[in-house]
Amino acid sequence: MNTFVWLVRREFWENRAIWIMPAVIGIVLMLAALFGRVHLDFPVVTPDQNRVVGGTVLFAFGVIFFLVMSIYSSWYLLDCLYADRKDRSILFWKSLPITDTATVLAKLFTGLIAIPAVYFAAADATTLLVSFILSVRTPSTLGAALWQPDLWLQLQALWTYLIITTAIWYLPFAGWLLLVSAYARRAVMLLSVAVPLALYLLERWFFGTHVVGSAISERAVGYAPHAFRDMSGHAGWVTTIIDNNAITAPRSVWQLLDPAAFLASGATWAGVLVGALFILGAVQLRLRRAEA
Amino acid sequence: MTALIEARELSKQYGKQVALDRVNFTVETGRIVGLIGPNGAGKTSALRAILGLTSYQGQLRVLGREPFSNRAALMRDACFIADVAVMPPWIRVDQAIDFVAAIHPRFRRERAADLLAKTQIGGNRRIRELSKGMKTQVHLALTMAIDAKLLVLDEPTLGLDILARRSFYDALVNDYMDETRTIVITTHQVEEVENLLTDVVFIDRGRIALDCSIEDIAARYAAVAVTEDRAAAAREAAPFYERRTLGKTVLYFENPDVARLKALGEVSTPSVADLFVAKLSRSAA
Repeated sequence: MNTFVWLVRREFWENRAIWIMPAVIGIVLMLAALFGRVHLDFPVVTPDQNRVVGGTVLFAFGVIFFLVMSIYSSWYLLDCLYADRKDRSILFWKSLPITDTATVLAKLFTGLIAIPAVYFAAADATTLLVSFILSVRTPSTLGAALWQPDLWLQLQALWTYLIITTAIWYLPFAGWLLLVSAYARRAVMLLSVAVPLALYLLERWFFGTHVVGSAISERAVGYAPHAFRDMSGHAGWVTTIIDNNAITAPRSVWQLLDPAAFLASGATWAGVLVGALFILGAVQLRLRRAEA
Repeated sequence: MTALIEARELSKQYGKQVALDRVNFTVETGRIVGLIGPNGAGKTSALRAILGLTSYQGQLRVLGREPFSNRAALMRDACFIADVAVMPPWIRVDQAIDFVAAIHPRFRRERAADLLAKTQIGGNRRIRELSKGMKTQVHLALTMAIDAKLLVLDEPTLGLDILARRSFYDALVNDYMDETRTIVITTHQVEEVENLLTDVVFIDRGRIALDCSIEDIAARYAAVAVTEDRAAAAREAAPFYERRTLGKTVLYFENPDVARLKALGEVSTPSVADLFVAKLSRSAA
């Protein structure tokens, strides 16, 4: 356990972008809130209006962090096992009593849990500061909307739920990136895309089927339908008029999260199995490859 | 004496290319063994197998363990420097010490600090900022602070200047080596390590060309320098190699009849470097 903590710490030493990038985003958003033009001349009065406006603003900041995090985390997973073969420092790490399984799992954990957690913390800190700035600058509209304890609790729950469920759902993608990272002698990015693309095209030309293609696309877009309740009928949503526009939004995050269905779905566990196989492959390659 | 490393019929292939061809050797505790061969002879393949970095065919036991499936456990008792430039460039010296101290049960932090204090390399420096000689000093300080039974060095001084090389080997012999430790060094710069070795293993094209202790070289090999007129007589004594120098011919013999050679010319024990050239030139012929 102690070893694992140090292995993750080591990833933070090597990849300082893990915390520098969210810090920069936070500072930029804060400067924008401080000096940008905030122009809200419509009244936000009713509890429903407060809820929708507050929720939109608070979650919008989270979305920015989450998108950047997804891209960075993918890049991290693709690079992490390749980087130390490229600079040959793998020979230093392998001279220490650390199993290759522990190394690969520490990198997987960093990419899927630790990096998202850092972005989550940065998003929270930024949202708090920005909310403070905005509510001081526009007390009539955002003064009350941004300070609803229930909304903040929902924000924490959503982030935690997102981190855990995306880590499980996208395990095959993460495993694939690690496998390429452990295998490639160069051009990791190209290889990670070229292999599935080639499989897709070969399958189409020779068999006329789309198994690979649909497996990948269903995995890519299937997350939200599996992890969140289907609310297409807008049952239980709230509609309110803001600035002469009717806006419909979920009443709360709680009604959206659907952990029981997510964990009961065969697709979830099929993905875990494929991901686990890719990760096993990455460990086997890590055992054998000492050089790029 | 117990064998620290025991290889039986050790082979390694990369595709069709045979790097090691059914090699047998043992290394005993307390020895400093030079694994010497030309580039591409199979030295590095042998070391990679010993360190558990690659799979192989045949039997191999290092500190009683099968290395490939037990690398992490093996690295508690063994450590290695696989050429000097493998410290991660981004790490700070104090981070490297913290990390190894946390991970390695046999790492002695004070010793690493003592060794580094002599070098005037600050703990806040990153490896990428250091010269090649300084990187070596850091890596060596980290490694020498580990109480390992086996230390493996693969071309440890490649790319270092003469001062850095000399201080590297001095530190190794004076501050590190004792009777409980064993060192295996590969190099193709034979002269440099000649004086510190207790044993030599010559390796050439995947085969062992010689496996011998330094004491035994004197008993098993002789070189005799003869003048031109006696060269023919000397050749009758079945030398395995000869070369010409300054009007004399030097002939090399295995298990020599020293009395007979003394009658022909000046007999000496060949240096490791000379023996290396003699042995490997013959096999090239």
